[in-house]
Amino acid sequence: MKRLHFFVIVIFVVVSSCTVEKTDYEAELSTETTEYIEYENVTSITSGDYTVNLEALNGTLYKGYNEIHLSIINTVTSESLQDAEVTFLPIFTDANGNTSSCPHAYNLEYDATEDYYSGFAVFTSESDTTVSWQLYINFQVDTQSYAINQTITVEEQTNMNLNMTAFTGSDNEHYFIALVSPQSPGVAENNLVAGIYKYNQPTEAEGTFPDLSQYSYSAVQDYTLLLDPRMPEASMGNHSSPNNEDLIMESDSLYHGVVNYTMTGNWTLNFILQNAEGETLKGTEVSTEFTPGIEGAKSDLYIDILF
Amino acid sequence: MKRITLIILALGTLANAQNTPIKKDSSNVVLDEVLVIAAKKNKIETAMKMAVSVDEFLASSDNISFIKRGAYAWEPLLNNMSTERSTVTIDGMHIFGACTDKMDPVTSYVESNNLSDIDVKSGQEGSMHGATVAGSIDLKRKSTAFALGQTWNGAYQSGFEFNNNQFFNLGNVSYSSDKLVADGSISYRKAKNYTDGNTDEVEHSQYEKFNTSLGIAYKTTNLSSVRVDAIFDKAEDVGYPALPMDLSLSRALITSVTYKQFFEDKLIKVWDTKVYFNTIEHYMDDTTRPENLVHMDMPGWSTTYGLLSKVNLKKENYSSEIQINAYDNLSIAEMRMYPQDRSETTMFAYSWPWVTTRYAGLSISNSWDISEKSQLNFGGTLGLNYNYSKYIEFNWIFHPGASQEKTRFLPNLYASYQFNASGFESSIGGGYGHRAPSVSEGYGYYIYNSFDRYDYIGDPDLENEISYEANASAGFKNKKGSIKAQVNYFYIQNYIIGRILSQGSPMNYQSVGVKGYTSLDHATLFNFSMHANYSILNNLHWKGTLTYARGLDENKNNLPFIRPLSYQTSLHYSYQKIGFRTSFNGDLKQIDYSPEYGEDETPSYTNWNISADYTFYIKNYKTVFQIGAENVFNEYYSTYADWGNIPRMGRNIFTSLKIDL
Repeated sequence: MKRLHFFVIVIFVVVSSCTVEKTDYEAELSTETTEYIEYENVTSITSGDYTVNLEALNGTLYKGYNEIHLSIINTVTSESLQDAEVTFLPIFTDANGNTSSCPHAYNLEYDATEDYYSGFAVFTSESDTTVSWQLYINFQVDTQSYAINQTITVEEQTNMNLNMTAFTGSDNEHYFIALVSPQSPGVAENNLVAGIYKYNQPTEAEGTFPDLSQYSYSAVQDYTLLLDPRMPEASMGNHSSPNNEDLIMESDSLYHGVVNYTMTGNWTLNFILQNAEGETLKGTEVSTEFTPGIEGAKSDLYIDILF
Repeated sequence: MKRITLIILALGTLANAQNTPIKKDSSNVVLDEVLVIAAKKNKIETAMKMAVSVDEFLASSDNISFIKRGAYAWEPLLNNMSTERSTVTIDGMHIFGACTDKMDPVTSYVESNNLSDIDVKSGQEGSMHGATVAGSIDLKRKSTAFALGQTWNGAYQSGFEFNNNQFFNLGNVSYSSDKLVADGSISYRKAKNYTDGNTDEVEHSQYEKFNTSLGIAYKTTNLSSVRVDAIFDKAEDVGYPALPMDLSLSRALITSVTYKQFFEDKLIKVWDTKVYFNTIEHYMDDTTRPENLVHMDMPGWSTTYGLLSKVNLKKENYSSEIQINAYDNLSIAEMRMYPQDRSETTMFAYSWPWVTTRYAGLSISNSWDISEKSQLNFGGTLGLNYNYSKYIEFNWIFHPGASQEKTRFLPNLYASYQFNASGFESSIGGGYGHRAPSVSEGYGYYIYNSFDRYDYIGDPDLENEISYEANASAGFKNKKGSIKAQVNYFYIQNYIIGRILSQGSPMNYQSVGVKGYTSLDHATLFNFSMHANYSILNNLHWKGTLTYARGLDENKNNLPFIRPLSYQTSLHYSYQKIGFRTSFNGDLKQIDYSPEYGEDETPSYTNWNISADYTFYIKNYKTVFQIGAENVFNEYYSTYADWGNIPRMGRNIFTSLKIDL
């Protein structure tokens, strides 16, 4: 019987020895991306009796698309300012002192249930020692106007799923495409949301700074963003996925489509931007050939993502 | 070190066994004879070889052929149908391989010295253990009966095969008393690359396998017993020359607890209940293939829990077996690709996205002796099959909105009538049955098939495959010999097979496209076999087998992996202590091949094999020594089912020695 016991013990030692760990898929998805859901305070600015609290995801403004929430509090009564006219203008100053802006919502919308003013900004570059971003926020209480001018810091967006691109279309207009969602895609069908904006070129010379006509942007209407996602890694041989859907505009003024990622890793979203008339403004069709060992050529218009 | 310890332990056991006087008591009480738990003699040897692997043994069966991806772990085809369509069990326990590329059929996790028999049932008659189309292969483990006195038995077998330098050692020992029985076995095989008929080495065809098993039975009352069984199997450094990857490690632990209750003078004769658990881990390895463009890790896991409970009833000329069968399996397979620049992020996906399969079935099989000459067998199973894919989003990429959970009813029915009179025997039967898609067919995700070089995608909403089956046999037997012919015909509705998809692009760099598992409207399969044996002299026996099969899809195109006309003929001569055997076997040219599924025409081949054995005694222990040669002509060949036309082994001289202790 002792022999049998030995057998059993030896078998269990052998069995319980080393093994390869299973992948934790949820953790795998968040190694390259962090999903932020909470809006946190970026900065608070006081002007007279009012304090303006600017909130964004993770309390940080990043290059690319940022949804922003503004709450305005009367410091005397501690009551919030409701349903006022609030305007929002980001201004970029480059190393030579030239100013420009970026796609943004100028008139912020008041959300009564959440009691904040919401808008967005697509910051086109990061702040550093030579360039800076300033916010010009105006609002009116009764007859009193308040104007706030605050320098902010725009940080690098490390999540490539929120990348953006800016380009000049074949119609000589300046366009901006910024990814809005998903922040953390999966090996799945993902609803791909992007904002597509255009710089409204001024027809008149600049007036008093900040002259709004010089910094006007709008979401393009009824364009189509054709999508062809591919894996750029040479060994993946221009691998793509099925059942993707081109991005079209929905009621939220954002463009919605479907992208399927067949595995985690680097992907290139190859785009072709067409206007409402179906004319191509930017982007080229890419090869659909499977070319193991050779990296597929990208479209003229693309955004790289990684998850 | 652990292995060495085990071997020393085993040798110790054997040495001890030798010193124990064997007590034989022929006057066993009837009850003890009843308490035999499937005590059978070791039948795991073929006409040619006494030391065979499980695969080699199965290959000697008429309706089993093999897909071979190398020298190890052949995939058994029953009635020319692949393992999705058959159920392979160990003592009725369900086990599922953990490799998406079918590198590890269930038969690779056992060893010939822990089996007593392999029970092959064709078609719906095999549905007792679970839904099937092709039939069932049940591997019966060795289990010694309770004895009156203390008895030790054992056997040791060793051998060397010269072609691939395979060295093997198999040992098994059993102890039996009136209250306690123990069976143990241990084996180790190691082989290097084999050489083909052109004497060229076939790279990546080596393997190493360690297997041990232990079973302990205790008689709880005069009419009941409890038995605990475990098999541990470990294969390392196994090459698959036909695949772009090898195996670094696979391990299986197969355990069960069985309770058996006998009844005296009742309608119920025996009630047998088993709970079981088995777990398999399987790690593919491509670091041995520097030519691969992409380095990939492809680990797989498969864990199964199950319950098997059956009662045997018998009254006069009627006997019946009622069985409840339930299991829960979780299959997981991952793939992680490494970019050429290793500092870049790896690419990950599941090829089996955590797929759960639950099955519960109630089966009944009946046998009614209508008269001395005729017998009716009939039965059926009603099964409930449930699948759940945890990461269904993988499946949604190709099948948006496919169901995450799927429940299927799987009915199986069969009946056959047998008639025997004055040496003539004949039978006719039919069957009807459903089967659920396998994990790969339902939920597989970019599973690379190196045979047709496509990536395969499963479809969770595939219809059940429905089989209508007819079979017949006729034979004649007398003292000198016997001849028997068998035919069966399957009409399979919703036959599941991979078809090229117009969407998606390959993921594996060797791949040429993407195929999705889809249902053909139907497919048909016809199998014929003829078997004869004749005693020319008292000590000279002849045996011959002829098989033919044809499989067609709905458009009358050939199905893949259908065996062409094949034959085997052997002679066995014995003189005193010497036995001499010779055999020819081969396939004719494969005319009915299927280019659509990646097949090409395979030429005919013939193998000539010879062997001789000598029986003698070492200190009263019966010892047999055998020497022989397979493929004596050193013919260069590959068969219709050799993955990627890899050549089979050339001339192989084998030797083995077996001592019964």
